[in-house]
Amino acid sequence: MYKDPSYFIQGVLDHNRLLLARTITLIESTLQTHQDIARNVISELLPHTGKAVRLGITGVPGAGKSTFIESFGTMLTGLGYRVAVLAIDPSSTRSGGSILGDKTRMERLAVNDMAFIRPSPSGGSLGGVARKTRETMLLCEAAGFDVIIVETVGVGQSETTVASMVDFFLVLQISGAGDELQGIKKGVLEVADAIVVNKADGDNITRAKLAKKQYETALHLVTPSSPNWAPPVMTCSALEEKGLNEVWETITQHKKVMSATGELDEKRKEQALSWMWFLVKEGLETWFYNNEKIKDVLPGIRDSVETGKKAPTRAADELVSILGSDLLF
Amino acid sequence: MANTPEYNEWLEVATKQMKGKSPDTLTWKTPEGIDVKCLYTAADIEGMETVGSMPGMAPYARGPMATMYAGRPWTIRQYAGFSTAAESNAFYRRNLAAGQKGLSVAFDLATHRGYDSDNPRVAGDIGKAGVAIDSIEDMKILFDGIPLDKMSVSMTMNGAVIPILGMWIAAAEESGVKQEQLMGTIQNDILKEYLTRNTYIYPPTPSMRIVSDIMEFASQNMPKYNTISISGYHIMEAGADSVLQTAFTLADGVEYVRAAIASGMSVDTFAPRLSFFFGIGMNFFMDIAMLRAARFLWHRLMQQFNPENPKSSMLRTHCQTSGWSLTEQDPYNNVIRTTMEAMSAVLGGTQSLHTNSYDEAVCLPTDFSARIARNTQIIIQEESHVCKVADPLGGSYYIEYLTNQIVDEAQKIIDEIEEIGGMAKAIESGMPKMRIEESAARRQARIDQGSDVIVGVNKYRLEDEKLDFDILEVPDTVRTEQIDRINEIRKTRNEAECQACLEAVTKAAEGKGNLLEVAIAAAKARATVGEISDAMEKVFGRYVATTQCVSGAYSSEYAEADSESAQVIEDFRKRTGNFLEKTGRRPRILVTKMGQDGHDRGIKVVASSFADLGFDVDISPMFQTPDEAAKMAIENDVHIVGASSLAAGHKTLVPELIAKLKEQGAGEIGVVAGGVIPPSDYDFLYEAGTKAVFGPGTPITTSAGKVMDILEEQYLK
Ligand code: B12
Ligand SMILES: Nc1nc2c(ncn2[C@@H]2O[C@H](COP(=O)(O)OP(=O)(O)OP(=O)(O)O)[C@@H](O)[C@H]2O)c(=O)[nH]1
Ligand SMILES: [Mg+2]
Repeated sequence: MYKDPSYFIQGVLDHNRLLLARTITLIESTLQTHQDIARNVISELLPHTGKAVRLGITGVPGAGKSTFIESFGTMLTGLGYRVAVLAIDPSSTRSGGSILGDKTRMERLAVNDMAFIRPSPSGGSLGGVARKTRETMLLCEAAGFDVIIVETVGVGQSETTVASMVDFFLVLQISGAGDELQGIKKGVLEVADAIVVNKADGDNITRAKLAKKQYETALHLVTPSSPNWAPPVMTCSALEEKGLNEVWETITQHKKVMSATGELDEKRKEQALSWMWFLVKEGLETWFYNNEKIKDVLPGIRDSVETGKKAPTRAADELVSILGSDLLF
Repeated sequence: MANTPEYNEWLEVATKQMKGKSPDTLTWKTPEGIDVKCLYTAADIEGMETVGSMPGMAPYARGPMATMYAGRPWTIRQYAGFSTAAESNAFYRRNLAAGQKGLSVAFDLATHRGYDSDNPRVAGDIGKAGVAIDSIEDMKILFDGIPLDKMSVSMTMNGAVIPILGMWIAAAEESGVKQEQLMGTIQNDILKEYLTRNTYIYPPTPSMRIVSDIMEFASQNMPKYNTISISGYHIMEAGADSVLQTAFTLADGVEYVRAAIASGMSVDTFAPRLSFFFGIGMNFFMDIAMLRAARFLWHRLMQQFNPENPKSSMLRTHCQTSGWSLTEQDPYNNVIRTTMEAMSAVLGGTQSLHTNSYDEAVCLPTDFSARIARNTQIIIQEESHVCKVADPLGGSYYIEYLTNQIVDEAQKIIDEIEEIGGMAKAIESGMPKMRIEESAARRQARIDQGSDVIVGVNKYRLEDEKLDFDILEVPDTVRTEQIDRINEIRKTRNEAECQACLEAVTKAAEGKGNLLEVAIAAAKARATVGEISDAMEKVFGRYVATTQCVSGAYSSEYAEADSESAQVIEDFRKRTGNFLEKTGRRPRILVTKMGQDGHDRGIKVVASSFADLGFDVDISPMFQTPDEAAKMAIENDVHIVGASSLAAGHKTLVPELIAKLKEQGAGEIGVVAGGVIPPSDYDFLYEAGTKAVFGPGTPITTSAGKVMDILEEQYLK
């Protein structure tokens, strides 16, 4: 690994694919020395970010996210945009290793010179993913990409995490066999900027239209996240490349409205702050667990809480006060 | 069922001989999940509906013909093809002179996938794994001097079936043979291409229409021609056990029957011309039973379509011995394996048979190895006297029991598929492919642990092995020869007429015309395979596979074995974990398939098991160019790329990948190669910069260990 931040910084600013890839690796590294360089790199690159459209896409496994990105991304490159795709792969096995097959579903985009696709193993910790993805997004912006697409599977908290780092959050749905809504969580509805019912093709069109109506009704029941934007529900077929134009129009329309009202700036400011707080929390935690005294007493305290000898509140107080005493001396 | 006094007596003797242990402890669970006891008696098969029929009579468990081989032996039909049409033609003629009865054509991968030899995507594939055919002129050379009105010709073609069958019919007509005289079989089984064989071109819906168009055309014009060969062989070779092979093959069959009926044909017009193709492996009795079970089940399944002609529910099949069971190590053992498997196919009642050559795991057969393979069958037919009796194992308690078990187990899976909505839907859901791949990963784990014995590979392995036979290598000049001929044709043909014919193909693809009919005209107008394929692709589009990968199967097979085995995995995980700790990330490997090589069993096994061992594994789409693979390696910033090559493209593709990586400043990313690579090519690959080569039979733990050696050397020093 290279030690000099300027190697990475210059490479990214030169739009060098290889060095962008290596800088992402640097960001993803679990080594403290790499993180130190990474911090430098990010802060130097920060002024060069902010111009891209940041798009998050979520949906249940098999909803067609990758296929959608393949078709949608290819369309965008056709319009002259440079597209970066960050795919977070949750399929990490018990061994810690993982199988990253996203590009097999994005065959055309993968070989497209206007596109850059980077699948990342989630490596278990969601917090880790959140930080890495956010920073990777910035790197891609600095490397001149116009649209950044983050793909995440709708499990656990990952969607809301991704929603908190993008400009536009798109929820991809499929129509069910019956008339119930397909596993959409209320929390997801609240952060969606649009719901797109995919696979509206073949003998599935009527069902997709029906699902669209149902999602529209469901959306009426939640308060929209912005006073200036009522999230629309659309249908598309990623496979047959139908309805994708409309999705892009919606996204650009959203950007126009949000920029005009100043909401986009606000949103990004908030996101920057929440990112800071996130990092603070993460830093505090690391600091806590790395503290020698804590390391000493933790097993004992844990034991006594488990066996009921000590109340959890009491135990927590003690632990925190150890940190406090550390500060005084 | 009450045990007879004789059985109880046996039990006593057996227990005594087992020093007090019950003989039940000898029960073996087969990979299919069938419990095999150490003894079968009449009680085990009492009342079974699969027992007691007659050969040549429904439900055909005992064979489709009343007298079987006593009346006429099976057809010796060796699958072959390589290099140019002229080379293959000469090979066929030598084989026919030496006792082979039918022809079976193997096309190269460019042809399979609908590309002309001058297409840059297929530069490494021309003539390598089959014969290169670009136009009717090649087809005429291929069958030069072979009387198509007398010779039954089987052609393994699925993706580019319209241009190839069109060219064959057109070539026959130009040599004076009429359509109705043509005999033989076209594989034309597209469903299993999506599942395992990977030479599809178009998406499933238009592909199924092609199948129906061919059935329709032949039912009207080629009464002696088999329009489809519903194939389990490839499913088995990809990793399926015998129950999975039976279930998926018959479910494919049902899907075709439905498609043909939906396109307006009545069942009895086409069903008698359906033929099957099964693979026969080293579980000797199991696969005898499998053929019997498949015939029984097919008869049962066909009843839902109310056929009136008994032939409509009679399963006739070709068989091939397993190539997967053959080893690069101590290769003459393969003659013995093939003999066992051939016996199994014969005792199961096959209608025709291909026996593999001992050099299977190294290269395409030479004249010599092909002779031994052919003689294996001739000796069984003419020296061993096994042909004298129809279904000689009928009534064997064990065989009948196994037959029944396979029927029951396969029926369960078929029911499951029906619930999903038929085989096309099931394939879309990914279910069958995942089952096959899981079975393959488990098999690999059992071999690597030594619990499934393969002589010469994981037991009785020779030290210092040297290949002592000739290797068939197809020269790269085949490509230039083909390109020259294409250019010649394009110069001399009537261009306007040719273009009009191609337009007619596109029109037929859009509308309702019969695709085979217009393709015959296009073939006569000297349109090429690539041009006819493109004319359809304009309307149909190209199919892109979605790759899924099983995880956990390899390691769980170890974990289930014993603690020593489980420790092997744990130790390896510590090693990858250590790499993570020292370098900040897990060892990351891109596994890729370049060229038109569609053999993906190995790469899937490698991907799945490497992930189990703690690697981050990126899988590329199939059919990459070296350039595309390099781009992916760079973007994903992997440590190392593993190229899997089984179709003889390695000498072109691997060095090119290394060059492309260097060109783009990523020389640090190492390259290793695996697959069917003759040992004589290793030095060539090392000199080109390949860091390691892993041939057939390399245990995963060995190749993964070597990859870790390379990475630790590079990153931890
Ligand atoms: C199984 C098989 C098939 C199956 C493939 C199923 C599938 N989905 O994969 C089917 C039946 C469909 C098939 C079809 C064909 N086959 Co085939 N097939 C084989 C066979 C019998 C075994 C291959 C196999 O899967 N072995 C098991 C796996 C686990 O082993 P492996 O891939 O070698 O991988 C191991 C090592 O090599 C190594 N390894 C491999 N790659 C990598 C990568 C990395 C990174 C690492 C670390 C290790 C590693 O580790 C693995 C574990 O030990 C071989 C012969 C043989 N015995 O090898 C012929 C063989 C490869 N086939 C051959 C041919 C010609 C074909 C066809 C092209 C025939 C035709 N003309 O139609 C077709 C078309 C296939 C296509 N689309 O490309 C030829 C190739 C000839 C040549 N190289 O000169 C062979 C050698 C047989 C022969 N002698 O004729 N085939
Ligand atoms: N009919 C139809 N099928 C589609 C469409 N989009 C995707 N599919 C299919 O749905 C399956 C899953 O698609 P993917 O794109 O892999 O879905 P995904 O949401 O990325 O899946 P994960 O990454 O596994 O969560 C594939 O078989 C696709 O071919 C569509 O628009 N129409
Ligand atoms: Mg996906």
